[in-house]
Amino acid sequence: MSSPTRLACLTFPHLSLVLIGRAHPELREEPVLVGGEGPGGRRLVVAASPAAWNRGVRPGQDWRRAVVLCPLAAQLDVDLAAVAELRRQARLALTGCSPLVEWGDDASAYVDLRGSDPLRAEEGSRAVQCGRALQEALGVTPSVGVGPSRFSAWAAAQLAAPGRVRSVPVGKAVEFLANWPVTALPIPPEIAERLRQFGLRTCGDCAAITLVDLQRQFGPEGILLHRLCRGQDSAGIDPWREPPPCGVRRVLAGGVEDSESLRFGAAELARGLAQELVQQGRAAGRIRLVLLGEDGLPALAERQVWWGEVAPPAPMATAEELLGPLLSLFGRARPSAPVTVVELAAFDLVAAPVRELGLWQGLAADREMVQRAVDRLHDRFGRGLVWQVEVRPGHRGDVPEERLVWSSR
Amino acid sequence: MTGVETLDAITGCQGLPRRRISRLRGRSGSGAFELGLALAAEVSRSAPVVIVDFTLDLDMGIIDAYGGDLDNCWVVRPRHQEEGWAAARALARAGIALCLMVAEDWPRLTPAAAPAALLTALTEGDCAALLLGGRLLPAALSERVCLELECWRLDWALAHGDVCGLRLTAQVTRSHLGAPGASCRLQLNFPRAYQLRVGLEGMGEIIEDEELLQAAAGSGR
Repeated sequence: MSSPTRLACLTFPHLSLVLIGRAHPELREEPVLVGGEGPGGRRLVVAASPAAWNRGVRPGQDWRRAVVLCPLAAQLDVDLAAVAELRRQARLALTGCSPLVEWGDDASAYVDLRGSDPLRAEEGSRAVQCGRALQEALGVTPSVGVGPSRFSAWAAAQLAAPGRVRSVPVGKAVEFLANWPVTALPIPPEIAERLRQFGLRTCGDCAAITLVDLQRQFGPEGILLHRLCRGQDSAGIDPWREPPPCGVRRVLAGGVEDSESLRFGAAELARGLAQELVQQGRAAGRIRLVLLGEDGLPALAERQVWWGEVAPPAPMATAEELLGPLLSLFGRARPSAPVTVVELAAFDLVAAPVRELGLWQGLAADREMVQRAVDRLHDRFGRGLVWQVEVRPGHRGDVPEERLVWSSR
Repeated sequence: MTGVETLDAITGCQGLPRRRISRLRGRSGSGAFELGLALAAEVSRSAPVVIVDFTLDLDMGIIDAYGGDLDNCWVVRPRHQEEGWAAARALARAGIALCLMVAEDWPRLTPAAAPAALLTALTEGDCAALLLGGRLLPAALSERVCLELECWRLDWALAHGDVCGLRLTAQVTRSHLGAPGASCRLQLNFPRAYQLRVGLEGMGEIIEDEELLQAAAGSGR
């Protein structure tokens, strides 16, 4: 993709702490340790509340050490099934904002804000939308950071207050990260120690050193270090993909570059999605078109070539209602590579209005009731008003008088 | 549901609306009349239908030819306009599924109070009514039409040099259920000895037409 990478990082309390906050509101301000089974059956800290964090407890720590550090903390077990369900809900909420979502460590998530759709909302609005979606799913307010790389976005999220968005301007990542300590970088501890010994304490110190010098000193880690400190550490994210609650996917025979050819299949796509909606008895408040490029690339984020959304004033339930907005999406599509997969998904689902499924089923009136009504009509108006028709057995010709037998019963 | 997916899709309620009056109109040869009869045949396969034939010359054999169940059809041939409307009301209240009313001169055949009374009966019997034929409707009836579909014949379908059906466009020109303007293209296969598919069996086909799709998209739906 030609547009520069822009990622949003959303940080929030660990999902197990969110669940504990719901079940035990009295523990919200208290030190809480959430434990789980680690490798080899060892009990480890899965999450720690801010109060416990301030006493030095960290996720992944040995449980006994954490208890020593914070002896008065409430000690609870992680409910893996409940966390998994909450994670699923949060992922779905974020997927409603962008098809490119990477779930972090149950306390952070990344969303790719790139997109070539000219009608899409600007970056800040999309970041706010992600934050609100997550807030609705979790019931807690996340902090949102936006930057050109994973680390800069994460750093911005650390500086943002809950419910706020902190953005690293394009081209200003080096200045933004200049004062960040190198201990915050996602690098091996021994590299961090060597940096400390060299007197390199901030990202700005490392960014001032050339790539060649860093590589000579630290090997491949030096390249990573150089990129991290300059906000160039990631070209994208590895998105989590789950089929949307309601959507259709079509794999094209060979790559298609011509947008007119893509539009040709719009009617079929609209019909497919309408069938899904009819089966669910729902209408879509918003539809999203995703055009994917060639297979074989490692990350879907790089495979993606275009996506766009449209939200008409009224929910759409039929193929004809879907077709217009879908054609407008195809009209806006400017895929930068041949398209091999087309996905159409519906979001903001509501109950389908004025839907009369099975109009004729279950309505078959009792023939006796109809016959009684016919009898009453005959009593009132005389025979010869209401007729029933039969096809004469063995009739010849197409003349109705010969073919049909009329009876007024 | 009418049994024709494409037609269901444009009406706004997945079929003809119950407890409401619908109308199929079109010029002579447009296919509107055939479409209405084919719909009645489709309905009669699973539910009772009454056909109020004010014209008195409707060939009921067409229902049979389109695969309808004549046992489920009652034909009203009124000698007077009041009889026709009274029969329609009575049978609608009895719980029939579809009341198909066929006439050429609706203004002459429609007493002022009849449409409102029919609507009440439709509501009581949870029944749908479909008007066929005629060009003009009296105001009392016209204002109570909930869904109006207009048909145009596109061309004839030929097989072995013989006309075996017609292709038509049906467009929603009035709707109380949603925005009008949606249209679809249908193929109506006439009953023929060599015809593999007859009537509604063959009507589910959509004839792809990019221009029409774009026109539908541009009509604001």
